[in-house]
Amino acid sequence: MAAALLELGHLFVVLAVTGAIALRLGLSVIPLYVVGGVLSGPFVAGRFGLPYVPNGEIVTLLAEVGIVLLLFFLGLEFSLDRLLESRTQITRAGVVDLVVNLPIGVAIGLVLGWSLVESLLLGGIVYISSSAIITKSLIDLGWIANPEAEPLLGTLVFEDLFIAVYLAVVTSLVLGGADAGTGSIVQSLAVAFGFLGLLLLAVQYGTSLFARLLGGAGQEAFVLRTLAVVVPISGAALALGVSEAVAAFFVGMGFATSGHREKIERRLSPIRDVFGAVFFFWIGVGTDPTLLAAAAVPLVLAVVLTTPAKVLSGYLGGRVYDLSERRSLRAGLGMVPRGEFSLVIAALAASGSTPVMREIIPAFAVGYVLLMSMLGTVLMGQSSVIERRVFRDGEERSEPTGG
Amino acid sequence: MTVYESDLPGVGKKHEVELGDGARLVIVTHNSGKREVFRRADADSDSEKLFELSDQLARQVGTLLEGAYFQPVQTDKIETLLGGDTMLEWVEVGEDSPVAGKTLADSDLRQATGASVIAIERGDRVIVSPGGDATLEAGDTLILIGPSEACRDVASMVRGD
Repeated sequence: MAAALLELGHLFVVLAVTGAIALRLGLSVIPLYVVGGVLSGPFVAGRFGLPYVPNGEIVTLLAEVGIVLLLFFLGLEFSLDRLLESRTQITRAGVVDLVVNLPIGVAIGLVLGWSLVESLLLGGIVYISSSAIITKSLIDLGWIANPEAEPLLGTLVFEDLFIAVYLAVVTSLVLGGADAGTGSIVQSLAVAFGFLGLLLLAVQYGTSLFARLLGGAGQEAFVLRTLAVVVPISGAALALGVSEAVAAFFVGMGFATSGHREKIERRLSPIRDVFGAVFFFWIGVGTDPTLLAAAAVPLVLAVVLTTPAKVLSGYLGGRVYDLSERRSLRAGLGMVPRGEFSLVIAALAASGSTPVMREIIPAFAVGYVLLMSMLGTVLMGQSSVIERRVFRDGEERSEPTGG
Repeated sequence: MTVYESDLPGVGKKHEVELGDGARLVIVTHNSGKREVFRRADADSDSEKLFELSDQLARQVGTLLEGAYFQPVQTDKIETLLGGDTMLEWVEVGEDSPVAGKTLADSDLRQATGASVIAIERGDRVIVSPGGDATLEAGDTLILIGPSEACRDVASMVRGD
């Protein structure tokens, strides 16, 4: 018991320190939590004979709660009404984003001789932008009040919905059918969509139940009751071979319409932040940096190909929203950071059966998220320089009025 | 006035208010309740952040702007505009005031400035329409009526500063 408590203490010390470093450097905490995990895990600290945090059951369980809460919050924020309200713009921008970026990742995997499932995992990792990093950058840079915030956030909403469906499918493929025949893949897909369909029905018609469940509860009871719904349902999903993350997403959607959304966000976000940090740490702990060498080829290919691809798809998304070329370019630069959901996909891959899934893809994802989160933040911060370079003529003409 | 409302998924809500000169006021209400207020000089320019308020402070400032609420503040000078340039003003007679101890006639306020004393508040007693023989004492509050400039002149004289 003492050892476990110390292990957990070690973990929180590393998180606190890396968090402080991130704040000092003005970087996103997500990549630094991952780096903290890598450095204090068995593959770095362990190899040098230093005390290290093992990739054990406790950290894994807490990290799993982190995934569940991250997706639960995503569902909470996700409003189908909002999506339907501006569906033509969001859908167009979102489809462009999907069609440009997902196939590039899949193609890289196929070119490297990976299986279709492995390539699909790679596709998802390079496709999904980081809502957390992008939203924070938007607020920090003040872009949140500019027109480019709308295509950016709209596309993220589309990605969130897509990632729910994607995770549902890919989880079945990874857990259910990677080494089995088509029959068992179909069966596990059927189980997944059956379970999620039932869950969606419960969410659709259970709003009043959710509302009553939380109504009048005190602060502590409120938090506990919410967790008492999300965690068991996610656990049941995982037991059936269905994505626990997607289950949590749907439960979040159910709570979103219960009239308690803001209260849940206020009261549970500290819990999400704690477990989310553990999740990023856990990803790092499980990463052997020497495997980054093995992942170097896909990593270089992915960074070189997907950075301009995201800028392009973001630009086109901006044009769908009738933004000027400058603002559209900015929207493109803003979509570059990748983060939490790429890592969620990597965590799923790590539970797969092939060496590529267990080792290469997680190492790839860690390297990719580190590079893209930093590159993306830099691109956003330097956007005025880039805009001036790209639109030299337009800038000179519009300077006197725009200044 | 046109107000544009849009959702900022994961952040909150955004309201844009047209200011008439082509500029827009952009108010971002975060889910946490925090308000950020920006100004966009024109459609092409970027938003400039003006200030940021907590939820409670934003509500208080909002009602102030609306004119629906104010916290009474103790001032030694309360002005009320009657229309045209005529003002009603309350002014306290200071310890060192040159008019303290004089009668209204001796102080010659109306002749000198054009503002009339229509009442004198002394403790909880009010002398309405005081005659020329009414004595002014330190601590009295005079209620003046007259053109705003005249009121200001009288006020500074009576206060003794």
